[in-house]
Amino acid sequence: MARTHVDVTRREDGTIRIDADPDPVAGSAAQDDEVAGDPDFTRAVLDVAGAVLTWPVLGAPGPPSAEVHDSGRAQQWLWALYGERVAAAVHDRTAAEPHGVRVAANPTDLAGSAARLALGHWAARWWPASYPDGIPALEQDVLGLELAALTHRCQQLFDDEGDQPDDCTAELIEEHRDALDPLIQWWRAAPQSADTARHLESVLRLIDHAADTIGLDGPVLRHLRSSLDQRRPAGVPVDPGSLFARHGGGYALAAGEQLVAGGRVIARGQGCNDWRRYPPGFVDAAEDAVSWTARALGARRRIEVEVVAHTAAPSAGAPLVAEVHVNGGGPNRVPLTRTDDRWTGRADLDPGLLGGTAPPRIEVGVLLPGFDPGPFEAGPFEPGSGSDPVPGADRVRVARDAIRALARRRLNAAAERLTYDPPPYDVSWGPFLAETVAAGPTGEDY
Amino acid sequence: MVIDHAWRGLGPGLESLSGPGGAPLTRTVKLIVLPLVVRPALRPELAVDFLGPAEAAGLDGLIRRSGALLVATAQWFTLLKRTRRALGIVAGNPQDLYFQRCFELATEHGAPSDDVNATDRARAVVEDVADTADGRTVEALKGYLSDPARRARLDGELATAWESRLSGPDPGSDASAAADLAAVALDACGTPDRAGDAPEYAALVEAGHGCLFGRALWAHAGRVWGPGDLPAPLGLTAHHVPPRPQVGRGASTATLPAPLDRTLYERLFVVLQSSARREELPTVPELVDRETGRSCAPLGLHDESLRVAVVLGGRLAVGLDPLGTGEPMLGRTAAHRAVNSRWRREASVLRARRMTVSPRPDPDGGVLDALAHDLRTPWAAYVRRLWVRLHGRDVRDAPLEDLAAAWAVLDGVARSVMMDHRAKVRSALRALSMAPTRAAEPRSA
Repeated sequence: MARTHVDVTRREDGTIRIDADPDPVAGSAAQDDEVAGDPDFTRAVLDVAGAVLTWPVLGAPGPPSAEVHDSGRAQQWLWALYGERVAAAVHDRTAAEPHGVRVAANPTDLAGSAARLALGHWAARWWPASYPDGIPALEQDVLGLELAALTHRCQQLFDDEGDQPDDCTAELIEEHRDALDPLIQWWRAAPQSADTARHLESVLRLIDHAADTIGLDGPVLRHLRSSLDQRRPAGVPVDPGSLFARHGGGYALAAGEQLVAGGRVIARGQGCNDWRRYPPGFVDAAEDAVSWTARALGARRRIEVEVVAHTAAPSAGAPLVAEVHVNGGGPNRVPLTRTDDRWTGRADLDPGLLGGTAPPRIEVGVLLPGFDPGPFEAGPFEPGSGSDPVPGADRVRVARDAIRALARRRLNAAAERLTYDPPPYDVSWGPFLAETVAAGPTGEDY
Repeated sequence: MVIDHAWRGLGPGLESLSGPGGAPLTRTVKLIVLPLVVRPALRPELAVDFLGPAEAAGLDGLIRRSGALLVATAQWFTLLKRTRRALGIVAGNPQDLYFQRCFELATEHGAPSDDVNATDRARAVVEDVADTADGRTVEALKGYLSDPARRARLDGELATAWESRLSGPDPGSDASAAADLAAVALDACGTPDRAGDAPEYAALVEAGHGCLFGRALWAHAGRVWGPGDLPAPLGLTAHHVPPRPQVGRGASTATLPAPLDRTLYERLFVVLQSSARREELPTVPELVDRETGRSCAPLGLHDESLRVAVVLGGRLAVGLDPLGTGEPMLGRTAAHRAVNSRWRREASVLRARRMTVSPRPDPDGGVLDALAHDLRTPWAAYVRRLWVRLHGRDVRDAPLEDLAAAWAVLDGVARSVMMDHRAKVRSALRALSMAPTRAAEPRSA
């Protein structure tokens, strides 16, 4: 793969910025912590020693951008991630040289593993699982164990200063150890796809090495050690999907039952499903997952909200609410409760708001109180500038669609179990084990 | 990079000290290669980020000549890990605990032999490392403080020490002089060019401003920063003035009171519970005796440089802005800019990881709103953690020599507070999504 170039600049506050995408897009890339206007769910990030690394999830595979806040600590890995030229450029910027410089970055193994680790963390939080869209959820424990393996593989990026939450191999193994035994079974059953077999073995060996190196112990880890020590028996093929307990998968969407009989429908429509406003695992990621109906019941005006639930959504303890704006007025909150495959709720609205002859303009969003960072605000978009014809909300919707398309592409690739030997940047984009499980049986293995 | 190349050049036999790709483990470099092989203190020409060709060749040679020693170290490490497993020991990271000891074993005995000698040595080291706490435990403290006669004696001593704490001239009614000097010192922090050469820090220590600040707190906790709308006691005490410390007989991490409201037991409980290197601590009876005096000293600390660090930390804490509201607080300094830009990075990462809390108060927000509240009053968590760290240093007789050392602690506490916040958000979100997926029992409201 051809080398790519990065821009290395020093900011006023002394931090060093490495920009992986030097195309001068309106000259805005280096202005702030994130590229202006890109929704949070399009960034994969990694906290490493002395820096934060960022990759665009929707972009082509490549080296990360970096915000280096402690270049002394970062020098331990800069050369291994970007190559010597970039490390030297950062060093020069730290010392005295104030001017930015464009240098070539090498596609190193560490860059490939780090990108994959960041993408895995992204998938654990933003994977757009949806029943109506046909995008299955990822098995979190399987993904978590692969992240543990990748974190260990990227150990050069971390030091023991204790300020890097992503240096969490031990925590990941502990939290997701339930999936270890099924993964061992899957590996012993000798998947016929050579790629999957190699992939599984590499993850398991990394976990074993990590556990040994950081001093984790326990029955399942000893079982892992002894399994890896033995020659792998040619076992009976298994369906990996059957090894993992699925959360209430495969429900059928009940036809939208009427919440309230009677009344006159004034209006109905779809709300906005902004993924940023609630944590993962609560709401189905489909664009049309949020719908509402406004009714007249005598003199009263009532709104009913229905939200398709994520297959693993909890039914208690999480007070999701819908936020309703009528004709641009202040928000009304409608508490939602989980019933089967939906979150539902209803509330009376001020009849005055819905009294006019013109059809009311009703906007409905869903959010978790206390979590919601607020509706998306696009960056410094100037309507007259001509550089960006898409307003904020539309731009986020387009980005959500692009994420769904990405998920579908990745699941297809996992199902096809492509055999290839790509260079480091591309290998990072290969399927995770959790995606292979989610892609389901292809017939080849069984 | 030179270390990495030389390391790979040493060939096989180093797997237990290496990462999955063959590079040395981060801790191998930090705990073995740098301090024990390279020893930059003896070779200052190697103590820089970027080496010239001659120095690089020197470093390379140094590591290659230590090849056999490092291979032997790696073998001892494998043996010690096996011994540790056999003994059922799981506490601590074996790299931190054994790396240096393995290098010593390799230096003294070469590679471990196949016979019982090596096994015995390994066992002795593993048990030795596990035993270094040597009675410096929470259980020992509990036992020591359970004796009624001893409790009565300590209670008497606390009463006497507390009575005499205010002898000497009145320190005056506000600490604004200290606050001004602190601001100047903080302005020299966080900028790589200036840290370490700020005379204001030495001046603060020299003039005993930490002591004065602590005494002002005893007199009127509400007004120590002088007039204004600042959260004056910063969470050091929940009372109008700090109460007299009691002996105490129990503690739980989750319900510890504000630092200056803690009992003797609670103060030492934190030290004994969190201590990584307990062998450096005084014995339990000595700890208790010294804590009696310390708990009645200004700010609950003996050493003046540590008290001054509380003043600096307090001055820093009131200007922290985790939510990026940009609202002007007491004039911000270089230290504030450094920590607040760290918070901005953290907020950006948390958004990308879908781990947000609402910046505005939300009555329906439950535990997440409580976490957001902590971000709106960051000084409480900050000063609390800072005090614990300084107290730990005081117990070990480890003063802060200069501003650079103080800044390392102040900055480290800021990072810890951020790590705490992220861990709390993570666990709150996990608790929410682990709630039963089907309604189990009705709950009372």
